[in-house]
Amino acid sequence: MLWYFGRRLLLFVPTLLIISLVAFGLSRLAPGDPIQCGTQDLLEHGLGANSYESARTRYREEARRKGLDKPPFYLAIRPAAYPDTLYRILERYQRQTLRKLIDQYGNWPQIQAYAQRLEDWERQLYQLPRERSRDAQIRLERDLRLLKLSYRQERVESYFVKMQALIEADSLLREDLGPAWQALREAYTQILDEATPERLLQPALHWYGTDNQYHFWLFNFLRGDFGYSCRNGQAVADRLGGALWWTLIMSLPAILLSYLIAVPIGIRAATRRDSWFDRISTLILFLLYSLPSFWVATLLIVFVTTAEYGAWLDLFPTSGVGELPDEAPFWARLGERAHHLILPVFCMTYASLSFISRQMRTGVLYVLGQDFIRTAHAKGLPPRRVVWRHVFRNALFPLITLVALILPGVISGSVIVELIFNIPGMGRETISAIQARDWPVVYTILMLSAILTLLGNLLADLLYTLADPRVSYD
Amino acid sequence: MRLFFGRKKQTQLAESLGAASAPNAQQFWAMVWRRFRSNRPALWSLRLLVVLLGIAFFADFLANEKPLYCKIEGKRYFPVLADYGQALGWTNPDPQFLNVDWKDLEYERVWWAPVAYSASTIDVYNAPFKGPFDRQVVAEDRFWHWLGTDDLGRDVAAGMLAGTRMAMLVGVVAMSVACFFGIILGLLAGYYGDSRLRWTRVRLLANGVALVAAWFYGFAARSYALAESEWPPGELGKSILLGLVLLVVANVGASQLERFPLLARKRALPVDLLVMRAIEVLESVPGLLFLLAILAVIEKPGILDVMVIIGFLSWTSVARFVRAELLRIRTLPYIEAAQVMGFSEWRIIWRHALPNALGPILVVVAFGVAGAILAEASLSFLGLGLSIDQVSWGSMINKAREDFSAWWLALLPGLAIFATVTIFNLIGDGLAQAMDAKLNQ
Repeated sequence: MLWYFGRRLLLFVPTLLIISLVAFGLSRLAPGDPIQCGTQDLLEHGLGANSYESARTRYREEARRKGLDKPPFYLAIRPAAYPDTLYRILERYQRQTLRKLIDQYGNWPQIQAYAQRLEDWERQLYQLPRERSRDAQIRLERDLRLLKLSYRQERVESYFVKMQALIEADSLLREDLGPAWQALREAYTQILDEATPERLLQPALHWYGTDNQYHFWLFNFLRGDFGYSCRNGQAVADRLGGALWWTLIMSLPAILLSYLIAVPIGIRAATRRDSWFDRISTLILFLLYSLPSFWVATLLIVFVTTAEYGAWLDLFPTSGVGELPDEAPFWARLGERAHHLILPVFCMTYASLSFISRQMRTGVLYVLGQDFIRTAHAKGLPPRRVVWRHVFRNALFPLITLVALILPGVISGSVIVELIFNIPGMGRETISAIQARDWPVVYTILMLSAILTLLGNLLADLLYTLADPRVSYD
Repeated sequence: MRLFFGRKKQTQLAESLGAASAPNAQQFWAMVWRRFRSNRPALWSLRLLVVLLGIAFFADFLANEKPLYCKIEGKRYFPVLADYGQALGWTNPDPQFLNVDWKDLEYERVWWAPVAYSASTIDVYNAPFKGPFDRQVVAEDRFWHWLGTDDLGRDVAAGMLAGTRMAMLVGVVAMSVACFFGIILGLLAGYYGDSRLRWTRVRLLANGVALVAAWFYGFAARSYALAESEWPPGELGKSILLGLVLLVVANVGASQLERFPLLARKRALPVDLLVMRAIEVLESVPGLLFLLAILAVIEKPGILDVMVIIGFLSWTSVARFVRAELLRIRTLPYIEAAQVMGFSEWRIIWRHALPNALGPILVVVAFGVAGAILAEASLSFLGLGLSIDQVSWGSMINKAREDFSAWWLALLPGLAIFATVTIFNLIGDGLAQAMDAKLNQ
């Protein structure tokens, strides 16, 4: 038995590893520059060379602080045309442009030389004294920004022609930037002339070792260090801790209420099968089961939280969790909170209520058909005792299966209900983290909910053996 | 035998045996249909579903800003039909109707659609949020917004019809994707289990190498062509074709090398274990969370992306059911008989095992469609997946939160979602009851 659960725990490891890889892979694929998450545009700089250099230093610092200057993974299988140091180019869009160049021409040395010339020329451009020819200079800067992102030959050349004209038109610019400009154009011609596309067909394996982003994140996670939210630099654990508190306050009463209501209804409906109670409760529960909770929540907000449809319907606050100053009496604060939470808790309760109740009814009906129940009746046990001692215990299985779903539900919360009622719980936090591409927070939520789902399943299997000693996993 | 029974007796025996031992497929479906028909709510749901499908199919003819038929200066036009022609590339748009407000034209004769607005038509005179009973500015009574308008002045009735099409499309696309993956993986896992798919070492190796090579040459080395081509499906097709060719070459090569005894030793491929792990991974992350995380990767997720991802996340339930059915079916005598007769594995799986597993798949699909419609409605409620000019039931409910006086927006689209989900749940329940094995006895 212990051996069985030990093995189950061991099987968690590959599952969780795959989920961590999926989460990490998603974060790598997502658009946007993760280094710039939560900061203003770090590469935006003012006039003069100092400003240009300091912007780049700041960018590098930020990358180091977030651990994004490391190689992404342990290894990479790529065409041999790729260098194994591409990750050192930190700017995501610059890296993508270079990738596209490699994918076309396959000659990294020439491409690297071109990128170097481009950077040199950019530095020279920003080092020029501003007062000389502002208009042409600003246009050159704008075109350069676009040139740095271009990789198709016709696009690159169209910018070359444009910029060449600007430089030619101004004798001072021609003098200062001319030589480096020629070098840049030559570097690009060299890429085209010395293309080695056959290197793209040759696979190569780069091994980066354990000093990589994935390893760094995974081992910190295992140590319980979830990193820092990139939106405001707050520790993810603190951030989620606060949210978890609100989700627990909402989901615990909801779970408790739904079990307290659903179990008796399910049992009564099953033991009096085809009575009017059974018919009506089954119908109502079936309808409740199909009611989308975001619709019900919207209806409640629209109709009973304002005086729009009559003053007597202004029953509940519209959203939020109710903030009274700390010096307000405890009971007043509690009342205010409860007043705010009634509607969201209701929305969460009815959804699980119908599901639990239907499961319960089916389970009890199945047990009632068994021989040992007939025996229990036949030997003269009072019906109440038969139901609660003999039937209930055997009908627990569906309820236990549901327990497995509750644990992860606590983590991800009820996303939509929290969002509609504006409750700062896990669900709202999840949505906002995903939309802001705050990956440290998203990773943590994905991993924690996966761990809790797996633990919930395990717990359910354990509870099965408690509910029915005949269940054995040996 | 003929000595003991007469010829007549023999044919009689064969007939009675046939009738007793082969409750054939037709009889099974006839029985399911008979039972399903006796379940009134399920039957009515099926009828309503046909109506919904009809609305989805003919949505352009039920709500359109253009007339179905009109006669201008003696010439007859069919503007709605003409749109189909243009979409198919058969006809060119009529220049005199470009940038024209159809309601301002002078007609000799005109037939409007029942709702004379498209879902994306913006009626600036009736914006924002004009209810069905509010004062509306319309030229004729027939242009009245019977179900009100939204914040931009778009007709809610037209939106409801377009939403019906969207919901049905979500159900069909998502469940097609789910069934494609779910049936194939469920079949393999259930039929072969962990020990019955035995390949020779060289074949395993060759297929592994071919898969890596297919990824490398089809995708890694061709990433520029795939990302930048004028027509990406063509390049994707080439990549897939290349991969298939590599796999075929690998298998042909492997069958040649299998002559050497050392390479020909067989190893079992734990298909069931792999599929079950994949299901566990997908099911261990809450669905909506996973959906949102995947959508975050796409730069501008469209409605088709949403449908496909919903389908991809819901193949697990189909696979579970197919696997369970196959575990039961593969021990039945007729499968053993087919194996003994030397039919190929593919033939046994597709012709003999799968048709018997179709019943439970139908039940899962019915519930799956309900789930997919709910998921899509939640996403469009959150404002994900739809472009500006698209309307779905979920996005309409979201509008109601902007203005609490717009009760028609809060009530009607939600009612439609509720009704549709209920219909599919009832059909699923009805099917499950009709096929319940316990009632067969």
